[in-house]
Amino acid sequence: MGYFIATVDSLWTTFKQALREPTTVNYPFEQRERAPRIRASFALTHDANGEENCIGCKKCENVCPSEVITVVAGKRTSPVTNKGRGYADDFTLNLQACIICELCVQVCPTDAIIMTQEQEKPTFSREGLTLTMDKLYANEKQKRWAWANATVLWDQQDPERGAEKKEEPSAETTSSEGAS
Amino acid sequence: MEATAIAPFLPYIFDLLSLAIGLGIPLLLAGPLTWAERRQSAMIQDRVGPNRAPFPLIRSRNITVFGLLHPLADVIKLITKEDTINREVDRFLYNLAPLIAVFPALVTFAIVPFGPDVTILGQTWSLQIARVDAGILFLFAMSSLAVFGTTLAGYASANKFAMLGALRASAQMISYEVTLGLSVIGLIMVFGTLEPNAFVLGQGAYLFGGWIPKWGILVQPLGLIIFMIASIAENKRTPFDLVEGESEIIGYFVEYSGMKFGMFFMAEYIEIVVISGVVTTLFLGGWQIPFLMDGGFVFPWGASFEMAEWLVSLLRFGAFLFKVVFLCWFQLMLRWTLPRFRYDQVMKVGWRMLLPLSLLNVIVTAVVMLY
Repeated sequence: MGYFIATVDSLWTTFKQALREPTTVNYPFEQRERAPRIRASFALTHDANGEENCIGCKKCENVCPSEVITVVAGKRTSPVTNKGRGYADDFTLNLQACIICELCVQVCPTDAIIMTQEQEKPTFSREGLTLTMDKLYANEKQKRWAWANATVLWDQQDPERGAEKKEEPSAETTSSEGAS
Repeated sequence: MEATAIAPFLPYIFDLLSLAIGLGIPLLLAGPLTWAERRQSAMIQDRVGPNRAPFPLIRSRNITVFGLLHPLADVIKLITKEDTINREVDRFLYNLAPLIAVFPALVTFAIVPFGPDVTILGQTWSLQIARVDAGILFLFAMSSLAVFGTTLAGYASANKFAMLGALRASAQMISYEVTLGLSVIGLIMVFGTLEPNAFVLGQGAYLFGGWIPKWGILVQPLGLIIFMIASIAENKRTPFDLVEGESEIIGYFVEYSGMKFGMFFMAEYIEIVVISGVVTTLFLGGWQIPFLMDGGFVFPWGASFEMAEWLVSLLRFGAFLFKVVFLCWFQLMLRWTLPRFRYDQVMKVGWRMLLPLSLLNVIVTAVVMLY
């Protein structure tokens, strides 16, 4: 008899439960509010004049602990300033082994590589997980940027240097926040 | 003139129609039931559940109808899947086992009357595939065949896990068959018949001066509970699904893939419908609606409401379907409510609780009927 009452009781519980609204969302179509500090994928940025920020210094390639970044450095004349400067002729980031440590973002002297709030979509092939330069520049336009870039991170780690920096307002940080 | 022309063919037409309906109910309900099970479990667990499969051909419009097309997608997937067969298997038995699993489930529905006798052009159409005099015996004979499907599947697979699963399955099914049979004895004593349609007709009677319908659930409440438990155990569903343990013994159908696995899967859902049909017939008054006589509603307090005969028949058919769907839903609820038993617990419940209870039920019924 006790079993029977318990069964009826638990049936009532599940019945009540069934009438509640689902707590999960219909994911790719509806998305929850993201955590404000989420950092998921990468992007390469342009500066305010529309020029590529990356100067091909290979700092990110050297610092990367899992060695997934490859930069081919080159020198060209900038179409904006008409002066020679360094460029990255090719830039690939292989997400298969990336540990999302953000060291590449921290060492970037020109705030060229940043992280985005939205992650990459799953793919059917390994090649799909390699972020080529085209994809990285597309991410700049398509994905929302995360809060951190090299300047901001440096400011946090070195308060005095941050105080110096604040005197000259950096155009890049302000523009990057509006560019989502 | 036309009437006389088709008159000789009418019995055949009736038989074909009965077959279509009698096969159609379990087969057509089984697909949506897989959807219902997933959808309902999602509701119980506060999830969204299956809702993606779009209409084919017009994919761009993305019409999903609450995911109701998932069973269809499942069938297409199962049919087109690669059918891998182990080198060591006994080919003949291996291919036969899924068929044996589905067959008894479908055949059992033949004795379930899904509507009253209808008279068309002076000929009676009994809405029942086979009016077997000893229908209940046929039911037990056929349902005990189901154990062959599982045992053969386990035996022919040449896999120790399958064999273990089959052993557990057969032990459980044979144990509960005894209880299943004994739980109906009381009902047979009350109505004095073995023919399902006679059960339904008998349940059209009323107790206490016409106020309460003489349904099996009221005459034999204990019988209903035991029958329900035993039949769920026969169907190997939670709380009695120890036959399948995804993480340890997997189940008797480990080696099956594609549509052969799909047939075991389908058999389970067809059996849900069949159990619902049988329980409806035996305990819930079949197609009877309380106070609905052949000519319309006649209430015990004197009010009455005339109705055409075809409308009455349609209502009764609808009532049967409603009860079946309700019981299917109830079984799904049970599945997602109760935790599973351990193997020894299943045996204990079967042999030491349900079997004595069903014997007690028989004795009490006999004593009550004697006085």
